Amino acid sequence: MKNSLEIKDLNISLVGNKNPLVQNLSFDVRKGKILGIVGESGSGKTLTCKAIIKLLNEKVFKVSGSIKLDGNNILTMSEKQSRAVIGKDISMIMQNPMTAFNPMMKIGQHIVETIKAHTELTKKQAYALGSSALEEMNLQRVAEIMNSYPHTLSGGMLQRVMIAIALMLEPSIIIADEATTALDVKNQAIILEQFQRMRDIGIGLLVVTHDFGVIAQVADDVLVMKAGEIIEQGSVYQIFYNPKTEYTKELLQSRFLVDEEQLCLV
Amino acid sequence: MLGYIRNRLFSLIIVLIGVTMLSFIFSNISSVDPAEALARRSMLSPTPKQIEEIRKEMGLNLPIYQQYLNWLWGALRGELGISLLTRNPVAADLAEKLPATFLIVGLASLWIIIITVPLSILSALKKGSFFDHTLRMITIFGISIPNFWLGFILLVAFAIMLPFFKVVDYGNFKSLILPSFTIAIPMAASSIRLLRATILANMNKDFVIYAKARGISNSRIIWQHILKNSLPPMITVFCQYLGYMIAGSAIVETVFSWPGIGSHLVNAIIGRDLPTINGCVLVIAVLFVFFNLLADLVNSMINPKMLNEKGEF
Repeated sequence: MKNSLEIKDLNISLVGNKNPLVQNLSFDVRKGKILGIVGESGSGKTLTCKAIIKLLNEKVFKVSGSIKLDGNNILTMSEKQSRAVIGKDISMIMQNPMTAFNPMMKIGQHIVETIKAHTELTKKQAYALGSSALEEMNLQRVAEIMNSYPHTLSGGMLQRVMIAIALMLEPSIIIADEATTALDVKNQAIILEQFQRMRDIGIGLLVVTHDFGVIAQVADDVLVMKAGEIIEQGSVYQIFYNPKTEYTKELLQSRFLVDEEQLCLV
Repeated sequence: MLGYIRNRLFSLIIVLIGVTMLSFIFSNISSVDPAEALARRSMLSPTPKQIEEIRKEMGLNLPIYQQYLNWLWGALRGELGISLLTRNPVAADLAEKLPATFLIVGLASLWIIIITVPLSILSALKKGSFFDHTLRMITIFGISIPNFWLGFILLVAFAIMLPFFKVVDYGNFKSLILPSFTIAIPMAASSIRLLRATILANMNKDFVIYAKARGISNSRIIWQHILKNSLPPMITVFCQYLGYMIAGSAIVETVFSWPGIGSHLVNAIIGRDLPTINGCVLVIAVLFVFFNLLADLVNSMINPKMLNEKGEF
């Protein structure tokens, strides 16, 4: 199968500081597969995601290496070129749905502006496309949602709206940075189901989380990061049943410890 | 929403009663007797009897609460009394002077907006640049300059040394420029600081990062996302400025010999013209409260989050 997003020797450091924040990162996100990245806070997961969609301020961060989407290096693209790709071919699901939307714009305006930024569709066509994308997320009363302001919707609903926005332009890669962290268990389950649906329609998914439970449920392959480096990678079975490094074992154990405690309480 | 406006109008009435009462009390505890002042103005050496008659005619012999109630009753019917200086009805004088003040305040507001918005955006985008530092120095300078001093300097520079403008002029657009600039500059300087800070705070918000991640163009992010979210505090402050500019026009209008409500009020205070003082205070207070209400209404229109489901704040 063709590699969709190839990352090679990605290094991120602060400008004027030699200590790397992310070091020699190389991995592929393949279409129709889910790659999970786990690691503790500060391990460089979010930084990596931001580097992929060029969200890092060039004055603050120095990024080297290559990030190739279908063979084109995003890092060497002009701003205009990369903006055409980002949001269309690679889209992102953000960590906190409650603050990710502009409080002064209706959901419909967010959707229409995104579609109009990447296609030649008219406002009406964009609106129709957005509505059908919301319907596919099993959201009820779509017209009402399109016409409401973000603060009137729940976090779970907003997260589904965000997934609809990520999917509606048929991207090849979706990056989900801690997309389930802010949600309750029920909404988490809905989102994870959507991740599996994305995989089934051939999208490559990069799921970043600190939650091994999420990884266990959806990921095909796993990277374990610590202090800006990959310290272990393999299929989800390898990582769970045969972890090689102490760090991975600890991470896994910490989760099971909590589970055992919860069992004791019951 | 309507309920909110009703509540605000109700509080407006309370504010107005308080303000006019204070203005009444303060004029009364002043040591100058307005009846005597008026008598001395119209007669060379008024007898105590004549002064007493004038006092009676003006209603100044009544207890202060009675005077206030009489004035209030008149004010409700639109009668603010007769000016002691001009001998015209106070309301007519005010109607004549207010447009002149509105003209310079209106033009000053325009300058404030024209100066503030682009400069704040530029200095926020180019944070830490030479332009940003220079602008910071200029704005600090602008905030610290007293209005009247700036007015005199502008007069000396552009009416005397470089005679583009006349020192005393009224009635054409050219005559508006210097006074409106004098009012606008300190206000614009402080609003640049405010808007720049708000824009910078909004630039790193999640919704801006998400907009970038959706591939929205930079110009749209700046105007539609960042600037729109930076406006509410600016609107509140700007509407307060409108009140300050009208109330504070006294100094600038005196410097430029501008026949507006500010210089009218100063003349009335000097001449112990009580009905005019009270009338001016009433008008200025009404405008002040009105502009504050306007700020909240505009904010609630552009920012739906400020209203809850019932349409209240």
